[in-house]
Amino acid sequence: MERNRLDISRRKILFGALQGAGVLLLSGCENIFNQLHQNRKVLSLLESVEGLNRRLLRFLTGSNKLAQEFSEKDISRTFKPNGNPPPFIMEYVMNAMSGWPSWKLEVGGLVKQPGQFSLNDLKAMPARSQITRHDCVEGWSAIGKWKGVPLTEIMKVVQPDPQAKYVVFYCMDMDTESNNFYESIDMVDALHPQTILAYEMNDQSLPIEHGAPLRLRVETQLGYKMAKYIQRIEFVENFKEIGQGKGGYWEDRGYEWYAGI
Amino acid sequence: MMSSLIYRHNRITRLTHWINALALLILIMSGLQIFNAYPHLHWGSKAEPEEAFFSIYAADEDGDIHGYTRFLGWRVDTTGILGVQQTDMGPFPRAFPSWITIPGFFWLAGGRRWHFFFAWLFTLNGILYFLYNLGRGHVRKFLFSPYDAGKVLPMILCYLRLRSESPQEGEYNPLQKMAYTGVFFILTPLIVLSGLAMSPQLDVAFNWLPAIFGGRQSARTVHFLLTFFFAFFTFGHIFMVVTTGMINNMRCMVTGWYVEKKLNPEGLKQEQDDFEVKMEDPRNGEK
Repeated sequence: MERNRLDISRRKILFGALQGAGVLLLSGCENIFNQLHQNRKVLSLLESVEGLNRRLLRFLTGSNKLAQEFSEKDISRTFKPNGNPPPFIMEYVMNAMSGWPSWKLEVGGLVKQPGQFSLNDLKAMPARSQITRHDCVEGWSAIGKWKGVPLTEIMKVVQPDPQAKYVVFYCMDMDTESNNFYESIDMVDALHPQTILAYEMNDQSLPIEHGAPLRLRVETQLGYKMAKYIQRIEFVENFKEIGQGKGGYWEDRGYEWYAGI
Repeated sequence: MMSSLIYRHNRITRLTHWINALALLILIMSGLQIFNAYPHLHWGSKAEPEEAFFSIYAADEDGDIHGYTRFLGWRVDTTGILGVQQTDMGPFPRAFPSWITIPGFFWLAGGRRWHFFFAWLFTLNGILYFLYNLGRGHVRKFLFSPYDAGKVLPMILCYLRLRSESPQEGEYNPLQKMAYTGVFFILTPLIVLSGLAMSPQLDVAFNWLPAIFGGRQSARTVHFLLTFFFAFFTFGHIFMVVTTGMINNMRCMVTGWYVEKKLNPEGLKQEQDDFEVKMEDPRNGEK
């Protein structure tokens, strides 16, 4: 008797659950997930695994491992230049046409020796050349050859303070609403030997669409971290006051700050 | 005819089963959202646009947009399903339609958030299930062995009603063992590894990781295709649940209790011995 009554109530619950599941799947699914996605609490719960990803993957990588380097024959015929269009401002265009005579990279923030570097200054510094795979957040990959100054060489000159935790890259390109592109990386990626400020791609001067005159390469991260059209580098303790405070143009628009996955 | 209640699924199995069902559903739907950002498949390390062997795309034909799905040289018009979706505002280019992606609107960053969260849940949940049931000696019961290989065909014939007696010994029949062993020991490790192989950071940590699939783009292709093996398994699983006594099966995965009908007590006597023990002390081993 006892068990029978229990069975009936359980059956009701079961049928209710099945019906609910059916409705959820057939019609409401899209709306429910969309609404959940717009809920601040749900979103921050989903976002909570970013820290887990960063810690676990960094732990597994250790400190001295390099990204795979390919050979000349692996270089992609097509290398899509995603992101914003090149800066369409007079100063940029004039400079691009005449070999960047008045362009200078400004480096400042929490450093002992703020400095300015012309393109020739950068080219006179120790260089690194690497043929690496670029992974776009969209899913495609392309292989290119890059030559540039390791970020550590710049750091030797400017000498960041111990409280500097992040390196912020300010760029000349902007979206249709005049938001300038910017990005940030932390010291772990800044100190990686393959993290370079590239001025050459595939043995040519860096093409306009790939960020001329100077772009960032961070081989542990997805493409959107690799700022193009760099104008200024700032060493900071945190990036709360920069842009919308998430550490980059794409981060301000919902993408992860940690783009190692 | 007699029937008896048997306690078939322990608490952890039931809990992890439903978490897994939810995680799998969300992983597939958010995965399709991520795929939509670049609906092409490649083999090797890089993605030369003209070398994609599979593409979903939209094409404008005299002001009429069509959705196409292309595999190598074959092209199929899939307007309304793949490539182009009919919306309130007319046809809209979109690889997989909004009702099968999470979020429903086109938002790669959002799809990634859902995917990574539920990837963690899926993995930790799987480890919990596995360790708990390994400890209780349950995994051994559905492990497909060479001995089972000879009984696969008789079992298929039995399902097709071409053979009256089942070659089943123990709790799982040879086809169930094949399916579960395949999903647990081949499909799951492969889909986790191919997913991890897409991480640029992990590829720095382990250069061999994308290499075992033939490159990062191959890993992406493997990851995508294995999704359909999971979907295939799930549909097969649901079909079996529905056709072999849905209420009983569903109740069993919710409460743990299953009604075993004994049509032929004499003949089944020996096979039931295993269950009889549990009847005496149903929660044996779950303390």
